[in-house]
Amino acid sequence: MDEKILRRLVIRAFHVREVRFGTVNRIENGVLTISKDFLQPILDQNQLVQEIKVEVIEPGDYNREINTIMDIIPISTKVLGQLGEGITHTITGVYVMLTGADENGKQMIEFGSSEGNLKEKLFLNRAGTPSDRDIILHIDVKLLGNQIFDRKITTAAFKACNEILQRIREVLKEMDGREATESHEYFDIIRVGKPKVVIIKQIAGQGAMYDNQLFSDEPSGFSGGRSIIDMGNMPVILSPNEYRDGALRSMT
Amino acid sequence: MGIGPSTKETSLHHFRDPLLDVVSKDIDVDLLGVIVVGTPQDNRDKYFVGERAAMWVESMRAEGVILSVDGWGNSHIDYANTIEQIGKRGISVVGISFVGTQASFVVTNKYMDTIVDSNKSEQGIETEVVGENNVDRIDARKALAFLKLKMRKSREE
Repeated sequence: MDEKILRRLVIRAFHVREVRFGTVNRIENGVLTISKDFLQPILDQNQLVQEIKVEVIEPGDYNREINTIMDIIPISTKVLGQLGEGITHTITGVYVMLTGADENGKQMIEFGSSEGNLKEKLFLNRAGTPSDRDIILHIDVKLLGNQIFDRKITTAAFKACNEILQRIREVLKEMDGREATESHEYFDIIRVGKPKVVIIKQIAGQGAMYDNQLFSDEPSGFSGGRSIIDMGNMPVILSPNEYRDGALRSMT
Repeated sequence: MGIGPSTKETSLHHFRDPLLDVVSKDIDVDLLGVIVVGTPQDNRDKYFVGERAAMWVESMRAEGVILSVDGWGNSHIDYANTIEQIGKRGISVVGISFVGTQASFVVTNKYMDTIVDSNKSEQGIETEVVGENNVDRIDARKALAFLKLKMRKSREE
């Protein structure tokens, strides 16, 4: 078959089987250690953020009350090249669940809330949710109360969460590729002579918790990205590999 | 009405998107790219961005499009318009959306004859359970199969 390869993306997965809290961030022998020391500086810099709680939820241990789920995020980082090409490292076995409300308990939602008992509010084993064997790294952000519900307040939660994840990404970046549990190769490819098709994703773009961001500095990251709202909701083209490399960040 | 917990696509969903996975791996089609288009508030803007998306697809000389949306109700105004704009350019188009019993289309047109319903809940509603009504691999395979049929039919005409 006539094929032309345009670009190559390698995603290396590092499987984590245990998450612990400690004095430094580290990934070693499948154990992710997270330091809580950096939480205070994040709070000091974000006046809208009142409190951040980080907890580890083991598989099956879902009987607990949570605020609305703002996002489920993979921890990935760029090691070589830019989004859509080169090498990406990602963690499997643990996914981040960001939840949030303000001091008065007002949930960070635009339409429909998933606050309540976690065991009834998260459908496991979907592409966008952890599996029943995955560990959930739960980050709950409490925001300043009595604020106008706008992008500023929800952005503060996404930003604070991202700052925590960035510290884990810095460790993940340094991992030796030979230690990866899995390695996947993806190509942006022209299949000459085959019917040409396009995928269109219609995404939210109106305001707080009805927003999406494109091309953050890191895969599924936050900083450096551009909101589709700020781009006037105009169509933007991504190569399959850019999309696959976490170019689209959900803020719904 | 907008994007509810059970239909919203998380960042993890985008990272492991089953629709992209199914279409990009199919050696019988040439996937040109993924267009993301927003859902603006203003009606005039809704029509504008949808038409721009359709014009882009036309310029790419695409033969077929799969259009997926993770909201419903108000977002279906944009959705129906974009499908119409693509359809009337003679490009085969298949949709994926949550419909169930709760989200019948508020507007419709003749190009909306192949819509894959991503509802998975028994009652056909927005259950407020994150991930429940998300698009999965089966939805993606159905959509691609419909698209192949539509493209073939259109070539024969």
